[in-house]
Amino acid sequence: MNLLELALYFGLLSMISVGGMPSIMPEMQRYVVDVKGWLTPGDFIQAFAVGQAAPGPNILIASLVGFKVAGLGGAVVALLAMSFPAAVIAWWVAELWDRFKDSPWRLAMQKAIAPIVVALILSGGVVIATPASPDWRLWLIAGVSAAGMLASKLNPLWMLAAGGLLGALLL
Amino acid sequence: MDVAPPKNLGELFTGFLWIGARSFGGVLPWAYRTMVEERRWMTHADFTETIGLCQFLPGPNIGNASIVLGKRWFGLAGSIVAFLGLMALPFVWVLGIFILYSDYSSNAVLSSVVTGVGAAGAGLFIGTAAKLGRALAKKPAALGLIAACFLCVGVARFSLLAVIPVALLLALLMARRGWL
Repeated sequence: MNLLELALYFGLLSMISVGGMPSIMPEMQRYVVDVKGWLTPGDFIQAFAVGQAAPGPNILIASLVGFKVAGLGGAVVALLAMSFPAAVIAWWVAELWDRFKDSPWRLAMQKAIAPIVVALILSGGVVIATPASPDWRLWLIAGVSAAGMLASKLNPLWMLAAGGLLGALLL
Repeated sequence: MDVAPPKNLGELFTGFLWIGARSFGGVLPWAYRTMVEERRWMTHADFTETIGLCQFLPGPNIGNASIVLGKRWFGLAGSIVAFLGLMALPFVWVLGIFILYSDYSSNAVLSSVVTGVGAAGAGLFIGTAAKLGRALAKKPAALGLIAACFLCVGVARFSLLAVIPVALLLALLMARRGWL
């Protein structure tokens, strides 16, 4: 039953995931932690950490949530549910998009989506860095990592490594 | 420089498998290296344009790219093969690491390290938002929209399913008036 709910909900998220995984992280956290209680806030940030640090598309975080809920089957179902609707849209829209290259609506759509994606990604960062109650240490680590990314061209893995080190010292 | 699409499904599969296998710290740079520089499947301009579209579609941009490129070169079979190739190894890696980690997650130091990595990952999101937001900084309507969406989703924790339709409608109206 959990698995069916998970599949339906992730399928829905897949369709609105403009901007990719970061955009829907706040909603995923809200649903699986706050509403359903499938994961604790601590579980969620740790699954997110593994998904970010391991190689591969970060959509795989969805499969870690699925694994927590229903084991290996949950991992497969979550990944497919998260991928399939978006893949179907990509399949159909790619050609349309080319055909409407100069349409004013396509331009308006692009401009309309940009600020929404920025707000959602920002929300994702803040929500993940605040798993339960506000904790200055997590905010400090997030701030250092954001500043490092903006100020340098280092591979983001260095920021994750620094975060791990700070975590060992502070938490 | 001559570019030529993959000759058969096998080549498509191994190409995407290779992208997924090495994609530490983000998939996009490895996709570029594999498809444009090493295998010469497509030109730089073509790659940029495809990724531009894929960023705009729902779903992970590189996952979308595997669908769009697979379709362009081999139709439905190409989309399926490219997507599976891309996801196969990372799926195994990420689950393997997670299962291994779960065995040791009662270890206080390890758990602190992983939580720190998670917070740093959250920081990367904030940095990404700042980078993308810079382009919009001179448009008050865009900044207002960003603030409103952030308050609804990040602070008040309203469901995205309610926020997105409303925000999109407002944003489209603003864009048509030339405010964005």
